[in-house]
Amino acid sequence: MAIAKAERLMNLALCLLGSGRPLSKRDLRTSIEAYLEVTSEDAFNRMFERDKDDLRELGMVIETVESVEGDIGYVARRDRNQLPPVTLDAEEAAALVLAARVWQQARLAGAASGALQKLRAAGMPLAEEEPEGYGALEPRVPAGEAAFEPLMIACRDRRPVTFAYRKSNAAKPESRQVEPWALECWRGHWYLAGFDRDRGAVRVFRLSRIVGRVKSRLGTFTAEVPGQVAVRESVARWAGEHATAQARIRLRVGAGYPLRARATEATPLNEEWDELEIPYGHGLGAWLAEFGPDVIVLEPAELRADVVDRLRAVAKG
Amino acid sequence: MAMTAIDRTRRMLSLVTYLRERPGARVDEVARAFGISSDELISDLNVLPMCGTSFRGGDLLDIDTDGEHIWWHNADAVGSGTGQPLRLAADEATALLVAARAVATLPGLRDGDRDALLRATAKLETAAGESAGASSRLSVTFEAEGGVFADVDRAITERRRLRIRYYSPGRDELTDREIDPIRLFAVGHTYVEAWCRRTEARRTFRLDRVARIELLDVPADPPPVEPRDLSEGLVQPAPSDPEVVIEVGPGGRWVAEYYPHDAADELPDGGLRVTLRTPDPATLRRLALRLGGDGRIVSPPELADSARDAARAALELYGEVA
Repeated sequence: MAIAKAERLMNLALCLLGSGRPLSKRDLRTSIEAYLEVTSEDAFNRMFERDKDDLRELGMVIETVESVEGDIGYVARRDRNQLPPVTLDAEEAAALVLAARVWQQARLAGAASGALQKLRAAGMPLAEEEPEGYGALEPRVPAGEAAFEPLMIACRDRRPVTFAYRKSNAAKPESRQVEPWALECWRGHWYLAGFDRDRGAVRVFRLSRIVGRVKSRLGTFTAEVPGQVAVRESVARWAGEHATAQARIRLRVGAGYPLRARATEATPLNEEWDELEIPYGHGLGAWLAEFGPDVIVLEPAELRADVVDRLRAVAKG
Repeated sequence: MAMTAIDRTRRMLSLVTYLRERPGARVDEVARAFGISSDELISDLNVLPMCGTSFRGGDLLDIDTDGEHIWWHNADAVGSGTGQPLRLAADEATALLVAARAVATLPGLRDGDRDALLRATAKLETAAGESAGASSRLSVTFEAEGGVFADVDRAITERRRLRIRYYSPGRDELTDREIDPIRLFAVGHTYVEAWCRRTEARRTFRLDRVARIELLDVPADPPPVEPRDLSEGLVQPAPSDPEVVIEVGPGGRWVAEYYPHDAADELPDGGLRVTLRTPDPATLRRLALRLGGDGRIVSPPELADSARDAARAALELYGEVA
C-alpha cells in the first residue's frame, strides 16, 4: 500500500516538475495509471487533493493557474521548486549528519534524513569513513508525547488548537483553546508556549499533561505572536531557578550537599549544625521537606510554615 | 521506524537527481550517501522504472541495476524536471536547523566541530529561504556540565579511570568511587555510563551530581558490556526489585511523570495509585516527605513508617528551636 502510494506521488511529482506548462486534472489522470484506475470522479478528486498536500509536505510549490478558456491547471515552476545552490565542505557535511542523529521522534528523524538526501543530491560530499561522533557524547532528544506532532504542525502553520489539559494539581483535565507559538525541549521534557484564548494571556503547557487528542481549529491567530517566545525562562521560574528572596536554614553537618552547593553563605554553628543562606524561589519548601530532620528553616516565616505543614501531613500519615 | 509514503517519495526524488549526475554509480556508495541499507536502495530501484511522466512506454524512468552498479538509460529523455534537488520543506529545514543549533550549544563539543556546524547552519539558513522561518518555533536545550564533562570526555578518549565524589539524592550522601567510563550521553541532562569499581557493576551517573572529579593515571578496564538501549528509558528496574505502592492526590500526579512505573490507576478523587519497582525502596522516603499532604506510601509499611518517623523527628526540632 505504502509503495503504491509512493509510486503514485512520484508520478505526480515527475509530471508536474517535467512539464513546462500547466497541466489540467484531465491531463494528469490520463498520464498516471493509479488515477485512471479510480473509477469514481469523487474518489479521484479526493485522492488528487490529498496527493497535492503530500507533495507540498516534502517541499514542492504547486501553483494553480486558470487559462483564458477558464480551465484550471497545475504547475510546479522550476525556479520556485529548486534548492538554491549550496556548497558544503566535508567537515560541514559530517557535522550536519551527526547533528541530525539527535532526533528520536519519527517525523523529525524522517524530515532530517530527507533534508540530508536533498543535500547529497545537491553534491554534499560523502566522507571516506562514517563520522565517529562528538568524542564520547551522544546527544538525544526524546521522542516526546503523542501531542508533539500535531502541535509541531500547528506551530508551523500557525493554526489554533484545542486540547484537554490537566494542571499539575488539578483532579480533572480542562479544555483549553490555545494559539500555539513555540515548542521547547528542556531537561528532557517538551513544553508549549502560546496564547490561551479563555484566559486571554500567555501560558506554558507541559506536553505530558495533555490528555487525549490535540484538535486543530479553523481560523487564524487573534493575538500577535512575539518575536521572541521565552518558553524556558517561564518553566525555569516554576522550577525555582529564579530566586526572588533569601532563606536562612540550619543544615545537619555532612547532609544536604546540593543545598550547600547552592548556598550563598555557609557558617558552621556547632558540631551538629551549619547555618546556610540560600536563594529562595518557587518550590523550595517541598525540596527542604525532603531532608526531614536534617534541615530546620529559620526564615522567612512563610517558608518555615510551609515546611512545617508538609511535615505535619506526613507525620499524621 | 515505519517509513511513510511521503518520506519514501522524498528519498526517491533525491535519488533520481543524484543518479543523473553519476552514471554507473555503485550501489553500496549510493546507499551510504543516502543513509540507507543496500536492500532499501534496491527496493527503491525496483519502484523507479514504474515512474515517469506517463505510464506509456518511453515516458518511464529506465533505471536498472545488476546489484553492484546503477544505470539510467534514458536520463536525457525522461525526468527532465529532476536536474536539481527540490527545495527544503519547512519540516526538513526545521529538523536540520534545530538539531544543529542545539548540538552547537553542547559544552563538550570540540571547537573545530562547533565551527563546522555553525558554518553549515548559516549556509542552510540561506539555502532554505522562507522554509527556515518556522524553525524558530522549535528549540532544544541540552544541559551539560562544562568542567566535569571535559574530564569525562578526556577519560573516555584516553581510556583512563576516574575518581569521583558522587551525590545520591535518594540517600542524601556523597560517596567516593572509582569508575571506568564507557560513554557520555545527553537526554535532558548529561550522563556518563560507566563500570563502577566500588560496586563492580554498570552504573549511570548524572554529571550535575558529580561533586568532585579526578582523572587517574590508571588505564580504564571496563568489562565488555553492551551499551544500554536508551529507547527504553533511563531507569529500567529489574523484575526482582521490590514493589512500592504510593497513593497521591491530584497535587501529586507529577509522581507518575517523573518515576517510571508499572501501573498508575486513577482514584475517585482525581488522584493516582502508582505501583513501581526500585532496587532500594528506602530512597523513596524523600519522595514521601516531599509529597506532604499530596500523597502517602501504601506499601511497604517499613517505608511508610520511616517517612512518618522522619517527619516527627523534624517537627520536634521545630519545637526546640521555636
